[in-house]
Amino acid sequence: MASVDLRGLTKRFGSLAVVDKVSLKINHGQLVCLLGPSGCGKTTTLRLIAGFLEPSDGEIHVGDRLVSSRARTLPPEQRNMSMIFQSYALWPHMTVTENIVYGLRLRKLDRDTIAKKLAAILATTKLEALAQRYPGELSGGQQQRVALARALIVEPETLLLDEPLSNLDANLREEMRFEIRRLHDEYRYTTVYVTHDQSEAMTTADLIAVMNGGKIDQLGTPEDIYARPESEFVARFIGASNVIKGTARDGNHVAFAGATLKVVGAPLTAGQDAVVAIRQHDIGLSTQAPASPENAIKAVVTRQVYLGAARDYMVEVADGTSLRATTPTETNVQKGSEIWLTLPPERCRALSR
Amino acid sequence: MTITTTDAPKSRIDLTRPVLWLFAAFMIVLIVLPLSWLMVYAFTDKARHPTLQNFVTLFTDPSFLDPLLTTAIIATTSAVICCIVAAPIGWLVSRTDMPGRQIIRALVTASFVTPPFLGAVAWELLAAPNSGMLNQLYRYLTGAEDPLFDIYSLTGLIFVISCYTFPFVFVLVANALDNMPGELEDASAILGGKAWTTARRVTIPLALPALVAGALIAFLQAMTLFGSPAILALPAGFHTMTTKIWSLFQYPPKLELAAAAAVPLLLLTILLLQGQKFLLGRRGFSVVGGKYGAPRPVEMKGWRWAALAFCLFVLLNPVFLPYFALLNAAFSPNATTLVTPSTATLHNIVFVFTELSSTQLALKNTVILGASTATIGTILALVVAYVTTRRVIASHRLLGFLATAPVAVPGIVLGVGLFLSYTRPPFVLYGTLWILLLAFLTINLPSAYQQLQAAFATIHPELEDASRILGATRLQSLRQITAPLLRTGVIATWCFIFIGVMRELSAAIVLFTSQTKVLSVLIYDLNESGDLAAISVLGIAMLVITFAVVLAVNRIPMFGGGAGARLRNS
Repeated sequence: MASVDLRGLTKRFGSLAVVDKVSLKINHGQLVCLLGPSGCGKTTTLRLIAGFLEPSDGEIHVGDRLVSSRARTLPPEQRNMSMIFQSYALWPHMTVTENIVYGLRLRKLDRDTIAKKLAAILATTKLEALAQRYPGELSGGQQQRVALARALIVEPETLLLDEPLSNLDANLREEMRFEIRRLHDEYRYTTVYVTHDQSEAMTTADLIAVMNGGKIDQLGTPEDIYARPESEFVARFIGASNVIKGTARDGNHVAFAGATLKVVGAPLTAGQDAVVAIRQHDIGLSTQAPASPENAIKAVVTRQVYLGAARDYMVEVADGTSLRATTPTETNVQKGSEIWLTLPPERCRALSR
Repeated sequence: MTITTTDAPKSRIDLTRPVLWLFAAFMIVLIVLPLSWLMVYAFTDKARHPTLQNFVTLFTDPSFLDPLLTTAIIATTSAVICCIVAAPIGWLVSRTDMPGRQIIRALVTASFVTPPFLGAVAWELLAAPNSGMLNQLYRYLTGAEDPLFDIYSLTGLIFVISCYTFPFVFVLVANALDNMPGELEDASAILGGKAWTTARRVTIPLALPALVAGALIAFLQAMTLFGSPAILALPAGFHTMTTKIWSLFQYPPKLELAAAAAVPLLLLTILLLQGQKFLLGRRGFSVVGGKYGAPRPVEMKGWRWAALAFCLFVLLNPVFLPYFALLNAAFSPNATTLVTPSTATLHNIVFVFTELSSTQLALKNTVILGASTATIGTILALVVAYVTTRRVIASHRLLGFLATAPVAVPGIVLGVGLFLSYTRPPFVLYGTLWILLLAFLTINLPSAYQQLQAAFATIHPELEDASRILGATRLQSLRQITAPLLRTGVIATWCFIFIGVMRELSAAIVLFTSQTKVLSVLIYDLNESGDLAAISVLGIAMLVITFAVVLAVNRIPMFGGGAGARLRNS
């Protein structure tokens, strides 16, 4: 079936490699998010998969077909893909219906089949009442659903989404997130989803490929990416992490701010610099010295904010490093107080990069 | 729904590239062939031995340097005047609540469709030093001896050229402002921008590309115009580059010098185009996308009527006065005598349509050439604009350059290039309408191309991408998505070329034969013989045809009359 396989994919504009030797295998029916800050090459990767761009190097295979290589790039119309664009790209001179059935007309389907498929997709996307409107007469969310319907009705092997929710307001964005996932589960297309929003990636993806500087920094399930970041970039980009810089004592101990931290993750070499990530809400905070001195550090509160569901602390340790900690609201310590931080060893992840 | 997968559309042979290369080849024949002959003549002597002597003569002989300077003065002054006049009118019409905005638009269009040489003749009727009607009026009112205006002067020439060049700037500026979402201005206002700040920081920068493009076109128009200088400068005893080049084709012809004289104009144009690119930079001026409301017109309050008066006063010069003069001459026994009910006569009209033998033929030729050039030219410009804005093939820059290059070639020089190219086998086209078709096509291609390129730039490329990813080939996307969205631009370009053909004189004057005479040539002949009344009748007939055609094109069902409403939000 339609797996999508990128092999050493490279795109250079002039001497700048926007996509740099990206290799990624997406199995049939998987939803993969390309996640990264703007300019990381995720949209270029998507446009390479779609066939709007020709690779400078490397290959793209869809199923057992080679669709892109330096020598030959199959044009987009022959790839049996669909795409949802950031601007939606709804044709303003066509009604909602005309927009949606466009792809079916190109496939020369007969009138009855088109009508049947149209009715089904209008129902799925709740657009029945708007079928005869023009895109200019729709709200942003409605336009988004038309774009979805137009892309899905042709039942593509591969569905590409380019920041599809970035033009929607927050509530709608959350709703559409689940809607996209639901439709994906219903139809099981191989889906590549480009976004810069980590919670969007978390809620929709089977696999997340975090991209940075044209390369895939880390590939894994949302849980992998969140709980087991491998690089400082991923740790900072996904969720709220503290990044601690110390010196390795041995394979799994790090000297930091006068204390020794037991860590998990990448094996360390004694004497070398070590980088450790820990989530804000994994840090424990108390006014008394903990029973076991393991992984406990003394610190001073420099800021405290009440967030309703939690408290947000900024604390400073002996070497001047600032850390953030999120605690339950019951833990109420005033600014300037001396406190103890507990950093659970299984949450302290040594980063390999 | 089940998980059945519909097959992708059958992979057809992609005709895109062959078709594009065919267009490229045609463009090369259209432009490179005559230009090559031009270059061959510019850099050789009579025996076709290579030499630079032509350029030495050109830049040392005062009889060539003076026209060069005159042309520079005329082009610069006209372009500046056009911008000063057209930009405020464009803004008033597009962005304010001034009364009569539609009427002003129509009147500007009227001055646009007026061929410049006809305007020049009308101003002869109005402001010739002795017989001119305005001068007669002035003498009658003041008892003075000297005329108030002398149209046969550099100032007079610049004035008349500006009258019929400013619509180029107006159209571009007004379109840009029409297409600009009002929210962009509102956004500035809400951030604390006062009306003038908003205008300076948002409105003007956004309209600037259009204004610069307009100024560029105005400059090039003024530089390459032949009719008005031939009618107004020659009697005044001075030359512009175009009339100088034309005079070099008179017996004994000095084709080499004429060709060489065209080279500086060509270089100057390339320079200007580069300058325009530099000025506009890389900022994106595409404002389509998202959802925009209708622009909020600026309230003029007490200034509304003053603004209207300003517009009408400006339009006095290219429209009201000249048309009054032409109508008067058409029905008067003496061209510059004010007609009264008792002296009104139909004699001029009867003469032109029954006694003047070449009228019918010229009418027929003009309409055939206008319609065919407009159709072929629009298609050609559409394809080239598409290729260059979407960078479809590697050589898109070359295509764009080819399409823009003719703007630097004065029609008269192009005429000779074509004359040289098509009087020898294998293409003997001289004496047929084909050679005129080629000439008109080449002349109108640059402006058609620029218009459509600007139109393309406002259509988000993702609209085409969306069609292709759903299975449409490039040509299908072009036909089903891009073409309908470009509808307005395409109609405008078609009309633009048709009008361009009606007003074209400079190439036709070299290429016509007795069987392929067109209206403009007929009018120029009549001016030589001083038959201004017949010109007036022909000129009015010409305008009637133009209006009829433009109206008819806008009514063609496939372009959909009511479709405008659908696009109101796009």
